[in-house]
Amino acid sequence: MSASADTSRDPGERERHLLGLAGAIVQASPADETEVLLADGREFLTRFASSRIHQNVGAEEASAVVRVVVDRRIGVATADSLEDDALTAARESALAIAEASEPDPDWPSLPGPRPVKPVKAYHRATALATAQTRADFAAAVIAAAREKDGEAAGIVQIEEGSLAVVNSRGVAVATSHTRAETNALVTCGDGSGWADGVAMRLSDLDPGRVGKRAALTAEKSRNPKPLEPGRYDVVLEPSAVAEWVQYLAYVAFSGKDFDEGQSPLAGRLGEKVTGEQVTLWDNGRDHRTLPQPFDYEGQPARRLSLIREGVAEGVATNYYRARRLGKRVSTGHALPASSSYECMPMHLFMKGGEASAKQLVGEMERGLLVTRFHYTNVLDPMQTVLTGMTRNGTFWVENGRISHAVRNLRYTENVLAALGRIDGMSKRLRRVPGPCVVPTVRMRGVQFSGATEF
Amino acid sequence: MDDLLERAVGLMEQAGASYGDVRLRRDRTERLAVKNGRPEHIARSESEGLGVRVIVDGAWGFFGTHRLEEAAVDEAVREAVAIARASAAAQTDPVRLAPVDPATDAYETPHERDPMAVPLEEKLDLLVRATEAMAGPNLKLAQAFFSAFDTRQQFASTEGARIGQHIVQTGGGIAATCIADGRLQVRSYPNSFRGNFATGGYEYVEAMDLAGEAPRVAEEAEALLAAPPCPEGRRTIILDGGQLALQVHESCGHPIELDRVLGMEIAYAGDSFLTTDKLDTFRYGSDAVHIVADATCPCGLGTFGYDDEGVPAQRTPIVEAGRFVGYLSSRETAPAIGRTSSGAMRASGWNRIPLIRMTNVNLLPGEAGTLDDLVADTDDGLLLTTNRSWSIDNKRLNFQFGTEMCREIKHGRLGQIYRDATYTGITPEFWGACDAVCGRDEWQLWGTPNCGKGQPGQTARVGHGVAPARFRSVQVGVKA
Repeated sequence: MSASADTSRDPGERERHLLGLAGAIVQASPADETEVLLADGREFLTRFASSRIHQNVGAEEASAVVRVVVDRRIGVATADSLEDDALTAARESALAIAEASEPDPDWPSLPGPRPVKPVKAYHRATALATAQTRADFAAAVIAAAREKDGEAAGIVQIEEGSLAVVNSRGVAVATSHTRAETNALVTCGDGSGWADGVAMRLSDLDPGRVGKRAALTAEKSRNPKPLEPGRYDVVLEPSAVAEWVQYLAYVAFSGKDFDEGQSPLAGRLGEKVTGEQVTLWDNGRDHRTLPQPFDYEGQPARRLSLIREGVAEGVATNYYRARRLGKRVSTGHALPASSSYECMPMHLFMKGGEASAKQLVGEMERGLLVTRFHYTNVLDPMQTVLTGMTRNGTFWVENGRISHAVRNLRYTENVLAALGRIDGMSKRLRRVPGPCVVPTVRMRGVQFSGATEF
Repeated sequence: MDDLLERAVGLMEQAGASYGDVRLRRDRTERLAVKNGRPEHIARSESEGLGVRVIVDGAWGFFGTHRLEEAAVDEAVREAVAIARASAAAQTDPVRLAPVDPATDAYETPHERDPMAVPLEEKLDLLVRATEAMAGPNLKLAQAFFSAFDTRQQFASTEGARIGQHIVQTGGGIAATCIADGRLQVRSYPNSFRGNFATGGYEYVEAMDLAGEAPRVAEEAEALLAAPPCPEGRRTIILDGGQLALQVHESCGHPIELDRVLGMEIAYAGDSFLTTDKLDTFRYGSDAVHIVADATCPCGLGTFGYDDEGVPAQRTPIVEAGRFVGYLSSRETAPAIGRTSSGAMRASGWNRIPLIRMTNVNLLPGEAGTLDDLVADTDDGLLLTTNRSWSIDNKRLNFQFGTEMCREIKHGRLGQIYRDATYTGITPEFWGACDAVCGRDEWQLWGTPNCGKGQPGQTARVGHGVAPARFRSVQVGVKA
């Protein structure tokens, strides 16, 4: 079967094509067990800076991940092609790896089929958006920034593709998706502001609004004053909250790390690990995220409670980790078999409160309003200590009003402990690229350990 | 395959491109991970395709395809041209490129044993033996890693360049993770995050003697678990090679990328404090600081023959006796500083455009002798070894690094071990406080295989040659 037929613009046809290709590889495999994951799609990204398009790219990409099991020995090989020769070579390579490997006594088998309900994740008009559409979108962001005398930089990105997972135990599932993302960083003199958005439909993103929101923040953040490092109450906008939640997922919610004792939640499920205001979950089926009906082992996505009212409740697993942890089925969070991370929650949610974002600032006596964080990294995974900088709009708030912009600060903070000091959250949740759906939050006493010069 | 390249060049010319290039590239990767004596993860990958880049109506367009057939080449050129025309609508000034002599050449990085051809069993045996040589009461994870990257590329441009390259890169390392009482400590060799990397063959990993170093690494991880936390304060610090390489990477390598300086990356990773008005005048560091960007350096992870615009590999002065004198640049950006390209444009694959990337950004050796000599010359300080975490602001000024291990220095001798050490500073102040760099005998190349940049994201493999160096009055730890 040739893979080069151009089926890329009809998602249904492309899914059937991928299922057929994957099925043929599984069928012809001499291994005890075989799993084939195929993806095919296109990605376009228009990048602008100094209010002009300076990079504008597209690519059609395909990928295949073949996992074979021979006498409990596992081999994985990948190819960025759907040609018969490449797929056969990947399977042979995986077989050679399995033969050179050692049996894994804990290997349970590949997962069997489970019912997968489809989700709406594909929008045809978004998939067909042209270079001119993206250029017009960028021009609208730039024009909105110019209304405030701002210079805009950012992206307009369109992605469309199909994914199929087939294995020798009977899993055979396929889905298609579109994804549109934009962001804008607007500078007004020494001030800068940020806004972003991500959606299944490009038409759900408003370029004028994105440009204007970033420009308003940029205008307000001119002439930033220095602020001494120290502990300050903060209001974190959703981009900043999402960064912490995603890093928390990275250090704490992987079933692999949990199993190996490297997660701060290891041995602590059922225990209070943060404040009772904190409820976090993952749900790949929720329409508020960018839905995906199954994971990279073809297992159905479902809601997974991670922390409920401050109590650790779960971690994300693939089938291997689920069985090692004594569960019958996985949580539906497998990454492709080629990833050594194995499993991760990818559709995170945080429960909000009852306030508006405006109220959270309005009720703060003294403290900081943070638009977003930059270059966060992990200092101590077991203590969930992160460090990073503020960026694109950091403001001093006094008596419920923004007093002035301040120069960017470095935070060094135990995130689980800091989340435990939340004393207000917005009712409205916002979807932030990741995707991650979170409120604006206010918390007491965040440690800022350093300052920079702008 | 040459036919596809020539077809693409012809079509770009027919479409009225003022410039165009095409790269046909094949990447093969192998990654092995062994944990506690048995293979944990073995994966091979292969990626092949071509990328077409054009300037039409004064603006850029790019399209990549994995389909290596004539119809796909035709479509790729059509798409790239259409994208360029859409870009042109928002273009104020047409793109102009610094000149380069179009080369016809072939280049290959030297290697003795093809790392892909070495039997898997042999590679796994080396890693298994290394993990089996680690032991300790709290040792939970004894890990060993091997990676190999093999890149073959054909480059052709409408200016007449025809360049073939074959780059072979290899790396490996070990890590011991001890966990007890809710604390976790990792000790690595020769570097953290899967080891050290270079252009070269399997001989590079064989020479590491992973099994020989393994017992010490495990002992140090156990010692860290029992050690007190590093006290906060202003201290004299000495950075070992692995940590100093990342310090150079983050606080010198990124801010000298001229696309960042000109604002092209501002919406993603940021811009740079090293603005063009500072060129040739700004005091970046002390007189002891000499830095070059050297793509010609033998065995460097950022070593190649030509960049992905067909510009020959070069050695570019960056900092001379503390004075800032040069950038990493491209054909598009170099005219902004009145120079020609420094040959730093590289793409992570056929499906990405080339961006300005570090080559081997090297701190040149100084006159402080060996690391032992430098420790002996230090009355009161800390020796910080092997990176554990990193973070830096979007202009590359305020940084904070954590290291795996810290040793107190008292009266020229190493003493107490501390855990969880961090240090922080402002880039030019920090390099201004550098008063000693060890000599040539201690100078070593370090590979950073995971340098991220650009949208869509690209990962580059870059190098840094350094010898350990000393810095005065640096903030260590976080003030409560």
